[in-house]
Amino acid sequence: MLFWVIAAILTLGASLAVLLPLAGGSKGASSSGDHDLEVYRDQLSELDRDAARGLIQPAEATEARAEIARRILRLDNAEVGGEASARRASVAARLVATAAVLVVPIVSWGLYSQLGSPDLPSQPLSERLAKNPADSSVDELVARAEAHLAANPSDGRGWDVLAPVYLRMQRFSDAAAAYRNAIRLDGDSADRQAGLGEAIASAAGGIVSADAQDAFEAALKLDPANAKASFYLAVALAQEGRGQEAVTAWQAMLGKLSPDSPWRSAVEQALAKSGSPEIASGSTANGPGAGDIDAASAMSPADREAMINTMVAGLDDKLRQNPRDAEGWMRLVRSYVVLGKADQARDALGRAIAVFGADSDEAKKFTAFAASLGLTATE
Amino acid sequence: MVETGHFALVLAFALSLVQTIVPLFGARLNNQRLMAVGGPVAVSGFALTALSFVALASAYASSDFSVASVWENSHSLQPLIYKITGTWGNHEGSMLLWVLILTFFGSLVAAFGSNLPATLRANVLAVQGAIGAAFFLFILATSNPFTRLNPAPIEGRDLNPILQDLGLAVHPPLLYLGYVGFSICFSFSVAALIEGRIDASWARWVRPWTLVAWMFLTGGIAMGSYWAYYELGWGGFWFWDPVENASFMPWLAGTALLHSAIVMEKRSALKIWTLLLAILTFSLSLLGTFLVRSGVLTSVHAFATDPTRGIFILCILTLFIGGSLALFALRASRLTAGGLFHPISREGALVLNNLFLTTATATVFVGTLYPLAVEAFSADKISVGAPFFNLTFGPLMVPLLVMVPFGPLLAWKRGDVFAAAQRLMVAFAAALLVTLVTALFIDGASVFAALGVGLAVWLILGALTDLAVKSGFGNVATGIMVRRLLGLPRSVFGTAFAHLGLGLTTLGIVGTLCFGTEKILSMHAGETVELSGHTLRFVGLYPAQGPNYSEDRGRFELIGASGSAIGEMSSAKRFYPVRQMTTTESGIKTLWFSQLYLSLGDEGKDGSVVVRLWWKPLVTLIWGGGLVMMAGAAMSLMDRRLRVGAPSRRRRQASAVTSAGLP
Amino acid sequence: MTRKQKRLSVIAGGLAFLGAATGLTFYALGQKASYFYMPADLTTASLQPGQRIRLGGLVEKGTVERGQGATVAFSVTDNQKDVKVSYTGILPDLFREGQGVITEGSFDANGVFVADSVLAKHDENYMPKDVADRLKAEGVWEESKSE
Repeated sequence: MLFWVIAAILTLGASLAVLLPLAGGSKGASSSGDHDLEVYRDQLSELDRDAARGLIQPAEATEARAEIARRILRLDNAEVGGEASARRASVAARLVATAAVLVVPIVSWGLYSQLGSPDLPSQPLSERLAKNPADSSVDELVARAEAHLAANPSDGRGWDVLAPVYLRMQRFSDAAAAYRNAIRLDGDSADRQAGLGEAIASAAGGIVSADAQDAFEAALKLDPANAKASFYLAVALAQEGRGQEAVTAWQAMLGKLSPDSPWRSAVEQALAKSGSPEIASGSTANGPGAGDIDAASAMSPADREAMINTMVAGLDDKLRQNPRDAEGWMRLVRSYVVLGKADQARDALGRAIAVFGADSDEAKKFTAFAASLGLTATE
Repeated sequence: MVETGHFALVLAFALSLVQTIVPLFGARLNNQRLMAVGGPVAVSGFALTALSFVALASAYASSDFSVASVWENSHSLQPLIYKITGTWGNHEGSMLLWVLILTFFGSLVAAFGSNLPATLRANVLAVQGAIGAAFFLFILATSNPFTRLNPAPIEGRDLNPILQDLGLAVHPPLLYLGYVGFSICFSFSVAALIEGRIDASWARWVRPWTLVAWMFLTGGIAMGSYWAYYELGWGGFWFWDPVENASFMPWLAGTALLHSAIVMEKRSALKIWTLLLAILTFSLSLLGTFLVRSGVLTSVHAFATDPTRGIFILCILTLFIGGSLALFALRASRLTAGGLFHPISREGALVLNNLFLTTATATVFVGTLYPLAVEAFSADKISVGAPFFNLTFGPLMVPLLVMVPFGPLLAWKRGDVFAAAQRLMVAFAAALLVTLVTALFIDGASVFAALGVGLAVWLILGALTDLAVKSGFGNVATGIMVRRLLGLPRSVFGTAFAHLGLGLTTLGIVGTLCFGTEKILSMHAGETVELSGHTLRFVGLYPAQGPNYSEDRGRFELIGASGSAIGEMSSAKRFYPVRQMTTTESGIKTLWFSQLYLSLGDEGKDGSVVVRLWWKPLVTLIWGGGLVMMAGAAMSLMDRRLRVGAPSRRRRQASAVTSAGLP
Repeated sequence: MTRKQKRLSVIAGGLAFLGAATGLTFYALGQKASYFYMPADLTTASLQPGQRIRLGGLVEKGTVERGQGATVAFSVTDNQKDVKVSYTGILPDLFREGQGVITEGSFDANGVFVADSVLAKHDENYMPKDVADRLKAEGVWEESKSE
């Protein structure tokens, strides 16, 4: 409401700026000839001042004075005619004036109704964050926590709370940074190290890198029963192609896990997958981050398949762009096999071999790998 | 608040339409009331644009992410100062700043132009209104800063880190004040063409506006150059980058305009040429806006790459440049030519200045646009860089610089070049001496370097000679001389300072290019490096956390002759997580007019760091000279003779009485 | 000289000046403009050692080697051919493997491209425009598929 009042006042003001001069009396105006004359007089007096100050030689001053005088003479010649056409145009003038007064409200309200969002209030961040937390969205709560931590960066507990939230929100590098801060400020714990490892691995698209592995190992050192760390270390084994060792590790885990552990199903799933020729393809090792997996398990089978297909397509594109990525090619081939797309798997294998050359070590590795998946390269 | 700003912007557009049409008809019909509309409309248009700008700035300051441009270019963790400067650190906001300045200047004409002939004033305001209407429409149609997001995101995407800098806070507003300042000269020229006559007060108005625009443009270019120097970490002050050229072309043309406007004001000569130059200068400003804003160029500045915007600005460009030049072709023959002069005279010198400057503008123009033309008409891609400009721009500038000290010493109408040369003997001898000393006694000085230094000294002393001669130095007693010096018109000081600044900038450029040294090496903590007599020790790399970035700061100590530390320097690699961007913060230590400049490279596996170190002698003079030039322009502006250009009120009333007697 | 002759000589002088400036400009364009090439073009283009060109493409993965001091060697590829580049200096902040770059310099006698400047844009998804246009034209790279 307030906005409309302001808008109306502004429109009124703008219209008055047009209206008042039109309604005002005609001010007497000098003709341009008079005007020029004044300018030349000024120049003459300036010249006299300069001459008096000795800035100009007397001879030059005389010459300049003659010059200005010539201009004044020329002015008199030019000053003919003009004044006649004043009255006859008053109808046209009135039309223009009316149009001008109408243009302001019509254009402004018309255009604004197309462009504006009058119902949307301003939303300064501080006001949004000052709202009752119960009304806030997760995003807003996170922003509030971030604002708090920006002001108190040494609040280790704050980082500890925020880190897993980041992980759920798939802000993996933020999560890793938050875990690191929590570890730095509040000391090591198995959960934090395992979380850090998961964040690093998820940021890398599910690949358990050396950094991530270090973190998981640190977690196991602190708590040998940490399920997340054990699980991911097994995934790492699977990714290195040591499938049998991974299976052993998972089986060992199953033995130790309590029956109601949330990890039980993940491990069982991983084991079920590793039973087939390729190893751990459906698990985190396949590329998507932990968040993707969470999302995928909540999906209908059709949606899940669509999601997996897009991810595989994404990987394919990435490899077209950066083809010298042997590990990536192996993941792609495996993914196509899992999806039951043998033709595409074969095609990918062919492309992979072409990139590195048929005689290269990588090509041999690819062929062996494909054979282990029950796939043969048909030339 | 946001929507109020949006509404005010739309309303300002409506007013700009009125401002275009009504005064123009008024002038045509000679109707006082219609013409009188221009003033109040221009002023209220400015007030509304200002309201709109304030609304946008407050949305930025309060991190209102329901505004799309805030979300795209801001972050809640940014320091408040960069939140505010972020308002114009992006395409939408900077265009709003552009029209804000345009309407501001328009309202100044309205406020202080009461002493202009009514029709001239009405036409000028109408042309200003037309430019404003075109750009308001551009903003509303293609780059509306008030586009909203619903629901609003909770966090923004951060301002490009290299733009989070105070230099950037100042650079675009200064540059725009310059660009847009020339719009006034343009409007006056087009108004004169519409009327078919050049008023005597025309030059008196155009010259101060040229000065204002030129002053700000000089500042904007100097600031931009300094920003690129310290922020990009390459240690260069000028890259002949197309975007730099885009601001340099109006500057060159504006410099020419400044000089020809003097001839026109003093001698009523070169009228048509000055008018054309005013049109060209603003056209080049528009071209600059187009080049930067359309994204046709690849450069750090091309953050806006939206083809509809490019086409829209191209249309504006065609409309205004084509329209004004067509008007010029139609009407120029009606304008009366001015007085005659001898080739060797102040006028002659200024014509020569114009010839060189416009030719130089043309070479920069060709060098900037040729690659675009080649790309448009063939499959080839070429780039035109420093070697081209050194070969074309350099040979044009050197003779011009050599001639500069002569200009102010020549008399109007008919000058005596030998007398001027005599007066410059001292400056010439000193420049020669400096050249010889440089060539003989400074190691590694090439002939070019020595001549360059000599040229700079010639310019500096030439500017001082001008002041000395005009105050009667050597001819009169010291007391009289001082009194005369103080009594000199400010514009004389303005000229001398501008030329002095030019000399200082030349000295800075020659010093940096010819005597600068650099070293690239990889260093471990504790190692020292020596460059041009300065010893630096690398203390080590220290991680640190900023408000919206983390950094590795490399600390260095400057070691004095005694072996103890006499100063500190540091350079950092910053990482901005929101944009996943790394930037380099260079370390600079100013020693007198020279600087040590260091920039950090990659960290090696063994813990060593690549360090690039420059010694840049006299480098600060490059921008210091720019400041002196600005001071010169400011002094010229303050010259009271520029303000008596139009009749004073008292006399005006008297003339109004006489004309009231007419029917 | 009569006034007319004087005026003519002034005009002739001006024209001669403009002519010289124009000539110089086009000479300089011919000499100093550097052409842009991708590695695959180099087989068809005949280049003398020492001729300045701009070479653009992607930094090939796994080829970046840091030599002694600040010298860096890497290969620039367009996925068809690749060219070895050597550069002494600080690489731009956004120089990464697999990212687009433009290098400027010339070939030495051994066929190594010695660059004196390396450009990579200050933007996360940046691909220098010249490189992007060419890669797009050849279907090697498509927009917004960098992830």
